[in-house]
Amino acid sequence: MIVIVNYGMGNLGSVANMLKKIGANYIISSDIDTIRNAEKLILPGVGAFDTAISRIDKMGLREIFLDLAFVKKIPILGICLGMQLLMDSSEEGVLPGLGLIKGKAIKFNFDSKDKLKIPHMGWNDVILNNSSIITNGYQNDIRFYFVHSYFVKVEYDINSILKCNYGIDFDAAVQNNNIYGAQFHPEKSHRFGIQFFKNFVEL
Amino acid sequence: MLRTRIIPCLQLIDDSLVKTIKFKKPSYIGDPINTVRIFNELEVDELCFLDIRASLQNRSPNYKILSEIANECFMPLSYGGAIKDEFTAKKILSIGYEKIILNTAAIETPSLITKIAKYSGNQSVVVSIDVKKSIFGSYSIFSKGGSKKIKINPVDWAKQVEEAGAGELLITSMNNEGTWSGFDIEMIKIITDSVSIPVIANGGAGSITDIGRAVLEGGASAVALGSMLVYQQKGMGVLVNFPDAKKLKRVLE
Amino acid sequence: MGKIKICSRCIYDSNITNINFDEYGVCNYCNQVEKLTMDYGTGNHKGKQEFEKIIELIKKKGKNKKYDCVVGVSGGTDSSFLLLKAIEWGLRPLAVHYDNTWNSSIATENVRKVTSKLNIDLETYVVNNKEVDDIFRSFFLAGVPEFDASTDLALAQVIRMYAAKYKIKYIIEGHSFATEGISPQGNNYFDGKYISDIHKKFGKLKMKTYPLMTLFQFLKWSIIYRQQFIRPLWYIDYSKSDAREKLVNETGWKYYGGHHLENRSSAFVHKIYHPQKFNLDNRNWSLAAEVRSNLLPKKEALKIYNTPLEDDPELVEYVKKRLNVSNQEYEKVMSAPVRNFRDFKTYKKQFERLKPLFNLLAKANLVPMSFYLKYCFPLPKEKK
Repeated sequence: MIVIVNYGMGNLGSVANMLKKIGANYIISSDIDTIRNAEKLILPGVGAFDTAISRIDKMGLREIFLDLAFVKKIPILGICLGMQLLMDSSEEGVLPGLGLIKGKAIKFNFDSKDKLKIPHMGWNDVILNNSSIITNGYQNDIRFYFVHSYFVKVEYDINSILKCNYGIDFDAAVQNNNIYGAQFHPEKSHRFGIQFFKNFVEL
Repeated sequence: MLRTRIIPCLQLIDDSLVKTIKFKKPSYIGDPINTVRIFNELEVDELCFLDIRASLQNRSPNYKILSEIANECFMPLSYGGAIKDEFTAKKILSIGYEKIILNTAAIETPSLITKIAKYSGNQSVVVSIDVKKSIFGSYSIFSKGGSKKIKINPVDWAKQVEEAGAGELLITSMNNEGTWSGFDIEMIKIITDSVSIPVIANGGAGSITDIGRAVLEGGASAVALGSMLVYQQKGMGVLVNFPDAKKLKRVLE
Repeated sequence: MGKIKICSRCIYDSNITNINFDEYGVCNYCNQVEKLTMDYGTGNHKGKQEFEKIIELIKKKGKNKKYDCVVGVSGGTDSSFLLLKAIEWGLRPLAVHYDNTWNSSIATENVRKVTSKLNIDLETYVVNNKEVDDIFRSFFLAGVPEFDASTDLALAQVIRMYAAKYKIKYIIEGHSFATEGISPQGNNYFDGKYISDIHKKFGKLKMKTYPLMTLFQFLKWSIIYRQQFIRPLWYIDYSKSDAREKLVNETGWKYYGGHHLENRSSAFVHKIYHPQKFNLDNRNWSLAAEVRSNLLPKKEALKIYNTPLEDDPELVEYVKKRLNVSNQEYEKVMSAPVRNFRDFKTYKKQFERLKPLFNLLAKANLVPMSFYLKYCFPLPKEKK
């Protein structure tokens, strides 16, 4: 059973919708026991870093996530803010991230003459950096829907699966063994997202 | 590379899909859900729905049809039409829409823009401005589905709205809408030159060339299409379609 | 219980309504097709000549008009192919589409691809989605097999309306008795009175945008407007697979996987409604036709026919949603006793009474010959 973690932030409905479309069994939950017994975990997220971390800590989820990630080693997927939470820290906040993948979230910062607007919003192309099961089944020209003001840079290149460019190269998808992150919104990236979720569900 | 967004802008009156010409004479286009399915299958990157008579008819959004639409879509969605308060905005966002579009409410209560932007981020608030060009060549803005003239200069309003926290502007030419005669490039440029937030050009597209012009000459970050996507050609029958990806790429380079 | 007899030529069996077998074991449907083939000279010199005369006439009559003929399109094989051929024959067609709002994107895309590649103008009539769902629902609740009757009749009416608007005399239709056969009599009955009676008994919304063809309208189009039906595929050789290949190569048209499957309402009828409620597998229409035309060996056809139809739960969900029926209501209707057109008011008696008139009109191509053959003859008593 896939558990979509409900900590009060993130478009859970859309993620659930796509899982439903591909016929996966899932449950949306904020219940500690349900989350603890998940076979796979999805951590969505929209909003501010510190707000998310405080909620997660308040609910007592940090320890559970660590256990699921490193002891039980179940597949975990962080989406958008959810991916940034997997990092050690973010420039957006002061609280510590979950530290499931070594890296940090950095703010997009452009000179006014660059004419690049923030947030990075829209469909953008990604390129494969390291192959992974999560990127199976794609042909050329892979794109996803992004909307974020902070981007991720992982410490070890081996953890960077897909790269994207928006004024600067950043990590669009990351992986540390059973822990995955997607900066983009697969649930809003129609066939590209469907393939992505299919790969995750089949892990 | 970040793709230029080409957004089908679909008009709803309650739960029927329609298309107007110069904001008048809505013609029936079909069932919104089936149309959405077709756009889904055509792999359109984003969809926009506007309930064009909701404010005028003093209705609230049709949550039932909006939920059904959201359940069918796997791409970003935006909705506008009688969003008068935070509660409505939050509800729309929670049923699966990435952005809400304000028009009449933004004019009547500009602080609403700020409130919603604070709650769910600037990028979730789009302000829609309906602009009409008079026979003397001057521009004015209208609210309530194009029926009420507002005494404020479009450029000033655009700047105000950006200041208040809007993430994007949807600029619609009332004169060109539904006519297939092309965008009002001059009007688009005046607006894009005066704000730094993305501007979506809307109203008048008749060909792929028009799309290219709105972006390259008008400075628009995105282009909304109406008639071009629901009719086979100008003056002909209803046929839901979307321009060929390769042709689009060519005009946008 | 008697043994089921199969026609010695095609695959129709004794379960088919109004079937009978001659001394060679050949069924009356085969014989009917054979007679039509001889009468029209299908695929041979006679047919070609006849057809060329017709083309010349169409061109002549349409000389100073914007269009010289009308072609009804659905995105399916036959109508798309006709548009292609119409251009080849040098005609200037207007394409007309009836949008019942249940179209699949393949159908819509096919209409777009073919009309834009061939530079053909398209008129569309879109019925209000709530109204049409109410009509579909009425038919569903009525328990009769003709779930999609409203679509078929509306297309016919809409084609006539646009032909009248542009003062076009010739309506080109893609019916082919060779590839489709004449569908067994008694099945798939539809006329305007039948639709309005069922709607009256089970419908909730008033019909405002639905284009109903009443008997008056039917007679008006044939006698006053004198719109003529041309069926090229009754004269020339036609193979569906060749047609599809040509369409794909020349216009980018896409196949939707099976006869009648381009629109969700007819897909529902053929994949689920008829097989599950009426124990009807309509694949025999086209399979029998292919066997008759020697396009498919009889053994192959029987093999295909005996493989069960694929289920389509997604389509069932779609239908329940559109008809606004719960799972229970759906199951209830699907297992309720079957009814047929004889349980409702129809024009059948009037059609039979007007047989001499329709005979003349059919001979003059002012009503389709297949209409005359199917509707103007009384049906023998129903088998119990």
